[in-house]
Amino acid sequence: MYLQSPLPLGNCGTRLCFPYEELDVSDLNDWTPRPWLALQNPSEAVTRPPALSTEYTTKTKRSEAMMADEATRRVFPTEPASHLRPRSRSVKSLVSTPESSFWRTFRSSTLHPSYLHLPITSLSFSPNSSLLAAASSTSVRVFSSLSLSEYDPTLFATLPLPDLAYSPSFRCDGALIAAGCENGAVRVFDLPNDKPPKTLRRLNAHSCASRVVGFPLLDHKLRLFSAGDDALFVQWDLPTETPLFSVPGAHRDYIRAGAPSPVSPDVFVTGSYDHTVKIWDARVNSGTSSVLSINHGHPVESVLFLPSGGLVATAGGNTIKIWDVIAGGKPVYSVETHNKTVTALTLAKVRDDTRLLSVSIDGYLKSFDFSRFKITHSMRYPAPLLSVAFSPTGTIRVVGTNNGAMYMGIKKKKDEFEDQVGSDDFAWSVPLPEKPTSRKNIRYFKRGQSEKPSEGDFIIKRPEKVKLKEHDRLLRKFLHKDALVSVLKTQQTTSIMAVLEELVARRKLIKCISNLDNDELKLLLSFISKKATQPWCARFFMDLAKWVLEIRAEDIRSGGPEMAVHVRNLRSMVAHEIQVQRSLQEIQGMISPLLVIAGK
Amino acid sequence: MIVGGQSLVTSPPVFSHDGKKLLVCTGCTVSVFSTTTGMLITELEGHTERVTSIVVVPVAGTVGTKFSDYCWTASLDGMIFYWDFSTPDLLKKVNVQLPVHSFVIPNILSASLGRSDKASQNLYAFISVEDANKEVENGKHLHGSIQIYDLTNSTRAGGVLAETHKPETLAISKSGEFVGIKKQKQLNIWRVPNKNLKSVNMKKLKLHHTRTLSCLAFHPTKCIVAAGDVSGRILIWRGFGKMRHSQDGGGKMKIDMGDRPGVRGEDDADSCSTWHWHSSEIKFLMFSSDEAYLFSGAKEGVIVVWQLDTGNKTYKPNIGSPLMYFTDSPDPSLSCVSCEDNQIHLLRMPSMDIIKSISGIKPPLILSELQGDRSRVTIGCDRSIGFVALPTKDYRIQFFSLLDGTDISHLQVIERNYDPVDETTVFISLVEVSDDGSMMSTVEEKLPEMGIGGLISLKFWIRGSHTGQYTLSTIIYEPHNNAGVSDMAFCPGRSMAVSTSYCGNFKVWVNNSSFIHSGDEIQEKGGWRCQSVSSYKEIPMTAAAFSGDGSVLAVAAETKITLWDPLNNVLVAIIGDSLGPIRQLAFVGSSEYIMSFSSGTKADLVVWNISNLSTHWSYKLLVEDICCTRSETRVAVLALLSSSDKSISTGKDGMVLVFDVENPIPVSTWFVKKAKGGRLSFINNKLGEATDGKLLLAYINGEHNYVLFDPSNVKEQEDLIPKSARRPQSYAHDENVSHGYASIYGELPSFDLTKARSSDSIPFVSSERPWETIFSGSSHALPPLSKLCSPFLESLLEKAEKQTVLSQ
Repeated sequence: MYLQSPLPLGNCGTRLCFPYEELDVSDLNDWTPRPWLALQNPSEAVTRPPALSTEYTTKTKRSEAMMADEATRRVFPTEPASHLRPRSRSVKSLVSTPESSFWRTFRSSTLHPSYLHLPITSLSFSPNSSLLAAASSTSVRVFSSLSLSEYDPTLFATLPLPDLAYSPSFRCDGALIAAGCENGAVRVFDLPNDKPPKTLRRLNAHSCASRVVGFPLLDHKLRLFSAGDDALFVQWDLPTETPLFSVPGAHRDYIRAGAPSPVSPDVFVTGSYDHTVKIWDARVNSGTSSVLSINHGHPVESVLFLPSGGLVATAGGNTIKIWDVIAGGKPVYSVETHNKTVTALTLAKVRDDTRLLSVSIDGYLKSFDFSRFKITHSMRYPAPLLSVAFSPTGTIRVVGTNNGAMYMGIKKKKDEFEDQVGSDDFAWSVPLPEKPTSRKNIRYFKRGQSEKPSEGDFIIKRPEKVKLKEHDRLLRKFLHKDALVSVLKTQQTTSIMAVLEELVARRKLIKCISNLDNDELKLLLSFISKKATQPWCARFFMDLAKWVLEIRAEDIRSGGPEMAVHVRNLRSMVAHEIQVQRSLQEIQGMISPLLVIAGK
Repeated sequence: MIVGGQSLVTSPPVFSHDGKKLLVCTGCTVSVFSTTTGMLITELEGHTERVTSIVVVPVAGTVGTKFSDYCWTASLDGMIFYWDFSTPDLLKKVNVQLPVHSFVIPNILSASLGRSDKASQNLYAFISVEDANKEVENGKHLHGSIQIYDLTNSTRAGGVLAETHKPETLAISKSGEFVGIKKQKQLNIWRVPNKNLKSVNMKKLKLHHTRTLSCLAFHPTKCIVAAGDVSGRILIWRGFGKMRHSQDGGGKMKIDMGDRPGVRGEDDADSCSTWHWHSSEIKFLMFSSDEAYLFSGAKEGVIVVWQLDTGNKTYKPNIGSPLMYFTDSPDPSLSCVSCEDNQIHLLRMPSMDIIKSISGIKPPLILSELQGDRSRVTIGCDRSIGFVALPTKDYRIQFFSLLDGTDISHLQVIERNYDPVDETTVFISLVEVSDDGSMMSTVEEKLPEMGIGGLISLKFWIRGSHTGQYTLSTIIYEPHNNAGVSDMAFCPGRSMAVSTSYCGNFKVWVNNSSFIHSGDEIQEKGGWRCQSVSSYKEIPMTAAAFSGDGSVLAVAAETKITLWDPLNNVLVAIIGDSLGPIRQLAFVGSSEYIMSFSSGTKADLVVWNISNLSTHWSYKLLVEDICCTRSETRVAVLALLSSSDKSISTGKDGMVLVFDVENPIPVSTWFVKKAKGGRLSFINNKLGEATDGKLLLAYINGEHNYVLFDPSNVKEQEDLIPKSARRPQSYAHDENVSHGYASIYGELPSFDLTKARSSDSIPFVSSERPWETIFSGSSHALPPLSKLCSPFLESLLEKAEKQTVLSQ
């Protein structure tokens, strides 16, 4: 008459409360019954004649009985009550993302190309070989063999320049290199393998420092563009050393940044200290006016076309901005994560994606995912950074500082994608279609395993396997003394506390103490003498120390000088603690009348 | 009136002949559970004492219809009943006159009551009865005896087969050929003759051992008997009884003492082997249905599977509680194991996975090493929904619904591995649930070893989305230094709690946490913090209670009651002395009275008037529990009767009194059994329309049997453990789960011989649509395809023609 309502949950019983644990085969091996002798426990042998093996049998039986445990029931490792854990002040550990793990695979090294501690103003990788050009002081140094095995890159060549060198740039086939100079000259060198480099062309048009020199990215080997502090922008025809397209007064201030377009050999972008970024098209010969002008808002230090050719990234002040040039210079996104001026930008290939790397005077290198508009990683260097380069193979990352040091990161192990990138410039290469996996391939069987759950998916987690430590395993086998010794050796106070508490709960602590041999007793005594007066465990350890001294008095007396040292330590510690308590009582005596008065 | 909480594990359960139902002895009734759903189907009510054993009538081949669910039950009231438990109907009563502790029916296959012919045999049962009034012979108290009883004619057949000190449990082999008992250090085995079952021609076989035996089991087919003893050894006698039973005529027995390894003295067996793994008394032995294995179980909670030929053993999952019985079913893939914690687990057989668990209310914690007032382990009670929170041995809390009589959920309180063999050193000493059930607090204690390392911690829990689902909110270690917590109380309508301790202070805890709902889980920030600490003359605080509106906190300081303003922590008043230290306090509804009782030598029950701070009335009673309603002025008191009282002899050692607080004369009184450790609570009756939301009084006795009743309806002096009025939870028709052959191949079509024959005689008439039947028939009877093809195609053509005709 009372039960009109629908049925309750029913007999959910004990088993619904915890997830099933999978039975591990290795654990089963642990449990297999073994002959009695194998279990001879020296600790227990001290007290019991070996003939009476009933204790062993019960112990083994129980550990065998425990074996059936796992399948249905959860296992609790011994853990200290949390009030016994000292409060840690450690900072929350950094979150590990796939991106950060990628950057962590780089092994870093430092090298000083010159001993003058002059700033490295520009860095550039050859598109098809592992050559690295670094502009520092009056020369451009070209390094080679930046391979995994060798830390020290060998100096491949030094390109002589009459004054401070700027902006080395490799041609798309890597055969030529061009560099600007403080006096305005632009020189083009060849890079033969066995001979010293030879100056092929000298291009003289700039009256001030030619800060920006660049070959077009596309396969147009006879052109070069340069820009400089005289606000002149020139596109050169190399064989004849004559300017094809020249814009005097392209900006109203120094031009400090420029980049070729990845989609057209005739389109360039320049950035200047007059806060503007201008886009030039050599096919449109309309005098001094640019195709497009964008105001960045700060003196522009670096500009870059993003791989699509439709977006431009500009860096100036401490902001990086992304513009849509096809839409007429519409700002797309602005990043303000650096604290000081952003000095250089480059593109980096991170696994399948492309990232925009930026370096700044504040010493940070940041990786920006421009598809999601998110900073994905940041690295700190000990000096202001001026330049950055990332190898087209995606294995080397170099940053140049203002004190002449170069920080290099070389990827430790080869990625699968490395070989595919090949000689093409990484940024605008279309990733190869994925190989169809055959049944012979291990990937065929593992396909879909790395699939990430989407928003609405219901995730069923595999129950976590409880990791048992050495002392836990011994406790599960009822080898109490061994567990105590093994945990004492770890020197971890909280674990030791946990094991001691568990032993108390099993009524085995006193027996354990009486079974310890002399070395193990020393271990325990040294631990007690260190920790006995710590407030969070004092009550326990005071009693424990009393018992240890009482039970093992004879062993301690005959234990030799080492034992005596521990006991002396303990005594001095107790004496000190008594003193502390006394002074605390004095303070309490002083404070309590005040509190009583305050209470009234 | 709702009765429940009976132990499911007093006797071994029995499966019905098809393995779909499980018959469990639950007190005076037999509960029939479904093995597929694990829910109660029906109950067999009729016995007036504890039912001790059940024998299910197996289906006798051709005669048995599909719905023959018959069983015999025997009880301590001296009756054997014959039931049809599908309906359920009581078919026959047999009065044995002596309390039956165990009985078996060996020839149940050959003789069947009711439906069998007159010519067939009478039905005989071996019964194990207790005769308490038997005279002492030769200084031996032989209370138990084994007898044969003719169930058909309700007469005793012959004399006594054996006499034992106490009634023993009978074991029977599967074929019904052997019946045996253990008798201290020996086994007594009888071979049951096929005909003429009289005790006169029963031959008794004795097998001896050096230790007291605890259980025995027969091999299903061979002459093998296994017995377990109290030390955990398993003895296997092979080929027993060959000489004695074969040489029935009484010829000379020749015993070669040579090649009989392990057999003691002149025991009649070929060999005896001993296996030893268990460290304590063997609780059950059972041969597997394929005859290759022997299952044994004991306190360890592990079923050990012995390979019979080699003695190799494997271990099956740890059930986590001492095992009691193991029963196999006619369905070879199903068996069940009963545990001491009042649970029956249904096992899928070869793998021994738990399919379903039938769990009753957990038995009370027994802490042997705890003496004095610390031994009181309290149980929490949620008044609004009517469930109790019971601490269990394996460090959990069971939430049990009193109204439904079902187990709701389990909550792991102490994160520790439970081993049934260990002595209890860590336990949950106090569970308190707030009135609305939204908050719960538990106190767990770890007993120190030689004064080292005791720990008391207090945990606060917050209810989750389901009933009985609680999440841990705050852990407070050593809430009162190392002194024990004597009582907890929640403030109604506020998240405030008070804990009192023996060290002379009490603490008021408040919860100022905010909840963040993230998905299904409720995350909590903040938690319970101590708001204030107070003490009264450093006297141990023993009990606490909040008034109905939460404005007054009463804390008992041994014999005095101190009244506090809980918000401002100000002592308001002190009410004078009771005789002994107060164990519990309760405000009586919204009235001005507060009730207290104290235990010990100076036990009393006092009602105090708060307005004039004086005693209103008092009794000198040994009270176990009191309970007040929140709105009315009724109070219920559970009092223990002193040993001098007369009713003790009838087993009733306590009484439940209901008072109106104004009047010291009780409104009604009931006598109850096993009141020690009992508990009372008023529960909102949300389900009954008849009582219109009136409060039910729940009485849980010391063995966790309980009764729910409306105090205004039930007649006084009535026996408070009456027959059950529980509602079956499910009905038989909702379980059409096939098993065995049917589960693999589906139901066989009912095969009717007569019909098949008649169909032969009917001449074949070609059907209207020959394409449907042309290929039907067994393959060897079909004409070759080449012949069939043209008629088939023709039939198709015909059809098309017809259709065209019709369309025209």
